[in-house]
Amino acid sequence: MTATVFDIQRGSFVDGPGIRTTVFFKGCNLRCRWCHNPESQLAKKELLFYKNNCKGCGKCREVCPHRLLSCDLCGRCALFCPADARRLCGEEMPIGKIFSVVAKDRAYYEKSGGGVTVSGGECMLQIDALCELLKMCKEDGISTAVDTAGDVPFSAFEKILPYTDLFLYDVKAITEKLHLAGTGVSNVRILENLVKLSGRADIIVRVPVIGGFNDTEEEIGKIADFLAPLRTRSVECLPYHRLGEHKYAALGRACESFRIPSQEEMAHLSALLVR
Amino acid sequence: MTERIEKLTELTLSGQMFVDPVKTEFDRTDLFLDKTEREVKRLCEFILNQEPKLTEYSAMTGFFRCDGSVVGDAFNRPGHKETAALMSAFYLKPIENLSTCEWQHATADYHRVLNIGLEGIIGIAEESMKTHKSPEETAFLRGEIKVMRTLIAWAHKCSARALALSEKTENAEYRKNLERLSAALLHVPEHKPRDFYEAVLTVYLCYSADPDSIGTPDRYLLPFYRDGIKNGTLTREKAKEYLQELFLMLQAKTRPDQNIFTRGGESHFCIGGYLPDGKDGFNELSALIVESLLELPTYAPQITLRWTKKLKHEVFRFMMDCERRDPMKRIAFTNDEKRIQCYTEICGFPYERAVAYTTVGCNEPAFEGAISGSNSHGNILHCVETLFHRKADETKKVESYEEFYKLFKKELSEDLERIFDYDNKYNEVRARDVNYLSVPFFKDCLEHAKSMTQGGGNYAIASPELIGITNVIDSLCVVKQFVFEEKTVGMEELIDALQKNWVGYEDLRQRILKTACFFGNDDDLSNGVAKNLYHTFYELLNGKKNLFGYPWLVGDLLGYNEHHKWFGEYTKATPDGRAAGDMLKFGIGQSEGKDREGLTALLNAVAGADPTGIACGNTVTNISLDEALIKNDANFEKTVDLFETYFQNGGVHFQLNYVSREELLAAKITPENYKNLRVRVSGFSDYFVRLTESLQDDIIERTGHEG
Repeated sequence: MTATVFDIQRGSFVDGPGIRTTVFFKGCNLRCRWCHNPESQLAKKELLFYKNNCKGCGKCREVCPHRLLSCDLCGRCALFCPADARRLCGEEMPIGKIFSVVAKDRAYYEKSGGGVTVSGGECMLQIDALCELLKMCKEDGISTAVDTAGDVPFSAFEKILPYTDLFLYDVKAITEKLHLAGTGVSNVRILENLVKLSGRADIIVRVPVIGGFNDTEEEIGKIADFLAPLRTRSVECLPYHRLGEHKYAALGRACESFRIPSQEEMAHLSALLVR
Repeated sequence: MTERIEKLTELTLSGQMFVDPVKTEFDRTDLFLDKTEREVKRLCEFILNQEPKLTEYSAMTGFFRCDGSVVGDAFNRPGHKETAALMSAFYLKPIENLSTCEWQHATADYHRVLNIGLEGIIGIAEESMKTHKSPEETAFLRGEIKVMRTLIAWAHKCSARALALSEKTENAEYRKNLERLSAALLHVPEHKPRDFYEAVLTVYLCYSADPDSIGTPDRYLLPFYRDGIKNGTLTREKAKEYLQELFLMLQAKTRPDQNIFTRGGESHFCIGGYLPDGKDGFNELSALIVESLLELPTYAPQITLRWTKKLKHEVFRFMMDCERRDPMKRIAFTNDEKRIQCYTEICGFPYERAVAYTTVGCNEPAFEGAISGSNSHGNILHCVETLFHRKADETKKVESYEEFYKLFKKELSEDLERIFDYDNKYNEVRARDVNYLSVPFFKDCLEHAKSMTQGGGNYAIASPELIGITNVIDSLCVVKQFVFEEKTVGMEELIDALQKNWVGYEDLRQRILKTACFFGNDDDLSNGVAKNLYHTFYELLNGKKNLFGYPWLVGDLLGYNEHHKWFGEYTKATPDGRAAGDMLKFGIGQSEGKDREGLTALLNAVAGADPTGIACGNTVTNISLDEALIKNDANFEKTVDLFETYFQNGGVHFQLNYVSREELLAAKITPENYKNLRVRVSGFSDYFVRLTESLQDDIIERTGHEG
């Protein structure tokens, strides 16, 4: 079995407790307007072109079987570009191969209380591959976490529950209209799934705070009210950032900008959430 | 920090505590004397002609520096004529593009002088005279006794000066300090110190005889510290003050207009580590030593924590926290598990001598009271160059990686022989000099009636520093992967590409640079190649002895000088994608952008490369970290776990850089705005803006690892 992966990040400090390896599955069913990994959204391979790095040497045209007039994602242009201006994103990887990478840092997980985090995109869209990877890790004593936006049938959660130690569960908004406007999908299933998951799994809720979208006391307050009766380990606020902007350009897509919340705002809104 | 130490710090950093040697005229008729007699006579006259550095703030004095008119200390080697000739011919001047001569270290044994005083050591020399009766031996030992008596007389001169100054000092506290100093110098270093203050003062004065590392102060000062605390004559604060005065001297010993004044190297010492009884040695004095240093805004000294499996996590965390809080970046870390394994199993040293190592110079290991009888650099990529250029016809014929490795091993063996032969030759020349000043502070020399420069002491390690190890590993990986496993590049094609310096083979070069399994990525291929290479070092060196009769070790430290650039300049293109003339890599803690898999991958690769420990010679590992990583407390805890795991996995050493790539690029463009940006380069720290452009580029190329 294989999974389409667009990155594996070893030695991560930011995707759950301890030192972790984060496996990024490609493909997502949300289209968050602030997404910092736009290359994660489509399930298929994509070619990124970083125009600023290009030195105009013409090597890409020379090596391309189609002289750059069309693209079958063979990756030759990226391989031979001397300026690293082109990158092929997405690889079909056998689960066993992913596992062997994850297993290399076992000593660091054990020392720090870390493990593997499967992220995305929406990793639960590749549920069979995800389940197999989590199972292999779990059976090998590696702690597992799943980073999800939750918009999948609950049966998918049922499937991976026995092999998942922790969920990093994103909640972007409670107001359905707002959620729809920001992500392109309704949040009804997302919130239902979270309620069902509560009490059955260890959950850290993560709330991205996006200036001009959900950074109001009202919306954050609603999230806090919603979470209040649920059993979760903790709630974390993640401030919006613009580090992904260049990737939109590299994909030839327009990028929307939002306001970056200040540290004070973040502190204030976090206090509302963890009251 | 007390007001007194603040004043001394000001004087030190403004260069006013630097001790300039007083020029000494010698009686020309002493030329008629026997050489030993004349050299000792002149040295003693010189010492007694010096003036101690004293201010009203001083509670210690007695450090002096030799000029070239006498045979001085064994570290700077002033007046060592053969060494001077050697350095003039070979220092910083590569021979055969294979070897360059470098500095040599030697570390005093402070335990002995603190246990028995110079009077006790004179007794050892007298005893030795009973069994060493040749005219040379007798003259040597008689000379050493004279030197020790002169050091005692020097202490008495310092005592008189301190008393004279005390009489002019109005501040009652300062006057009392000077009176106490005067009284103490009538007792030490002649006799065993009576308390912690006198013990530190002994080290302060005797440091003149070997101004290199102060060794393991948390061991030799501990009994005095504990006694003082126990009997109520010493407080922690007072002990800190004395340590700080000692540390200020380690800063002040360098002429302030020399680059090295702000580099902080050549002042390393160790805390913690295994004790002779097998316990971990980090104690309350170790913690006080670090605390004392952190209060001082100085560049020197620099401290290395010796980590053991028995060291508590909280202590390691404390030291990492000191490291992150220290704006002067004076703390490094080394792994006793690996080093002691090497020194006992490979070097065959007794456990109690193995655990008495410290760090010197640019953070290389040295044994208490012994000479680090090496310091030459070798171009280890030279043998790879030979295979693809001079001996390409032979290389073309190989049909498997195993056959290729056999050829490589033969070339490596020949190059190592020559590198080690040059190292021995450098030391042979140095051994023609006889040192008198440092010998009393070295183990076994008086007992053998022989200067330590001549191998009078025991347990002398020699560890040529092999530059380009990562280039070699990566070159072997490329051959293995592309020529023999994937079979996508023919050996003839690769040879042709290298002989044409990649011209016409740019695509091949790009493919190699982007898809090769390079060292630092923790893949099976590069890990296997690296492990095999280190095992080959072990095999090739097994049974061979250095000039002093002890097994060879290897290292990868660069030090202050650009050996990697010089060697690279004359090394033709190599399979790792390197073009002719490109500099070589030094150390294995960085792979200049070729490590694509993150910090844990790099650390795993480094920690697993050398299971035998043959590279526990002059080895340092520089790791570049994003500063944001360590500023955040939660991330800091993970960083502590990260490096503790690295040591548990077998890593030998690390020291950290906290700089971002952007900062470095900006610093290159507007150096005036980044005057305070400190970075560390293989064993010493310096300001980034002061580095040569090639070293700056080198650091920029290293990955700034993010979480």
